[in-house]
Amino acid sequence: MPTDLDDWFAREILVHERALVHYLQRCWPQRDELHDLRQEVYARVYEAAARSRPASSQAFLFATARHLMTDRARRGRVVSIEPVGDFEPSNVYLVDDVSPERWAGARQALKRLAEALDRLPDRCREVVWLRRVEELPQKDVAERLGISGKTVEKHLAKGMRLIADHLYGGEPRGGALRAWTASEEDEDDARQQAD
Amino acid sequence: MHDSRRIEHAAAEWLARRDRGDWSAHDERALEEWLRASTRHRVEFLRLESAWREAGRLQALAAGLPGGTVPPRGAWTLGPVAPAAYVRAARARAPQPGRRWRYALAAGFALAATASALWLGWRLGGRSEADYASTVGQVQAVTLADGSSAVLSSGSRVHVRMTRGERDVELLEGEAYFDVAHDTGRPFVVTAGGRHVTAVGTRFSVRSDAQDVRVVVTEGKVRLDAPPGADGRATPVSLLPAGSVATAGRNGVFVRSLPVAEAERYLEWRSGFLTFDDATLASAAAEFNRFNTRKLELADATVGELRIGGNFRWANLDSFVRLVEMGFPVRAERLPDRIVLHAR
Repeated sequence: MPTDLDDWFAREILVHERALVHYLQRCWPQRDELHDLRQEVYARVYEAAARSRPASSQAFLFATARHLMTDRARRGRVVSIEPVGDFEPSNVYLVDDVSPERWAGARQALKRLAEALDRLPDRCREVVWLRRVEELPQKDVAERLGISGKTVEKHLAKGMRLIADHLYGGEPRGGALRAWTASEEDEDDARQQAD
Repeated sequence: MHDSRRIEHAAAEWLARRDRGDWSAHDERALEEWLRASTRHRVEFLRLESAWREAGRLQALAAGLPGGTVPPRGAWTLGPVAPAAYVRAARARAPQPGRRWRYALAAGFALAATASALWLGWRLGGRSEADYASTVGQVQAVTLADGSSAVLSSGSRVHVRMTRGERDVELLEGEAYFDVAHDTGRPFVVTAGGRHVTAVGTRFSVRSDAQDVRVVVTEGKVRLDAPPGADGRATPVSLLPAGSVATAGRNGVFVRSLPVAEAERYLEWRSGFLTFDDATLASAAAEFNRFNTRKLELADATVGELRIGGNFRWANLDSFVRLVEMGFPVRAERLPDRIVLHAR
């Protein structure tokens, strides 16, 4: 059963993942550590919020990210290639300031989900469709597609990961992310005006 | 693989296993233990669980699709419509196999729970079908798969079928205004009460009453025709230029040609208004009743014959009634579900 804290975390923190990862990416030269950083930021935020909920969850999320990067830089785990001091997230706020509202828009959410679904590999997409959309039990999905139960489970696990990545938009994609984010934003803005 | 990745994979495996349908108390304890072991486990689990829950909204995509088929990529067309009527139907009874897809749509939106809910139809090889509906008191703008737009008046329903060669819209109830995307190769045909209204790229509205069909053209030209009558004789075809207000009844088609600006007044319901010009109170009441669940009734025939004019907000029945009371020898009896007008 999800607790209040779990709900809060999904509602107030996960929705900022795209901005968070964007921010980490700008400040941290080691691309292969971004996933790990993101996860630790989440863990720290969750633990702190278990004691007391921050007044502004977004500001708290970025402050946590900043502290974490400073800690790690200090511990010398990273040889500074770029100046690691500039962790000011002010630009990031501008990039994704309205994400919770945007998130709440059913139109955006469904469009994003449809995209996420369409990006899945073929078999994985079929499994996700039959299980999550048509709500067939896993064993019926296996039967329908002529694959083993274990394989269905594997495709589902993969589908969950890929959908979360696309939905929260936080999966580091190297330099492509920024351009992709910018064009998505433009599209969204244009659509909001059209609405 | 980094530890963080391994944790993410493990979280996904837990979720997929729990989804399998044979989850035991023992499994639950094992999961609890795994979650307690590290906050990193917990946040990653929450992240995937929350995304998977969101993915349930995809059920809205299955509206109108037969079960067991996985639609091809990019087969989605977006258009907003208020699913209020469907949502109510979905809550009223559990989905039956045959109806499942109609209501899957509603299930998706029960989650969305916003006034600007949306609708996703589907499209495959240039074909698409969709149903749109508005509830009483609601004017609903929708975008059709071909890029045309429609505005549904209060309490209206349309069924839209698009193929490579045709764009068919069936007006099942009420009134709809169409702004047709230009496509000479595909006529846009609205069917209502046995009449066909054909356009290529133009703006017009079609309204269906118990007795007749009314077409108002505000731009371009449309063709109004009907299948042969019961006596086998073909009915004449009417070509309606902009400014036409055509009423097609059992006895034929009556066309009035008005300046376009005047014809537009028939369509002011789109911006929330009803316009009357020397209309009987009976017909004005009927008009208000199309838009409101609280009905306006006339207790006396003499009241219904009073003539009124003006521009009224259809959502504001009370102020209309107050004005009528002020200007005419009429007394209003205000009941919860209706207002009855008596001669004074």
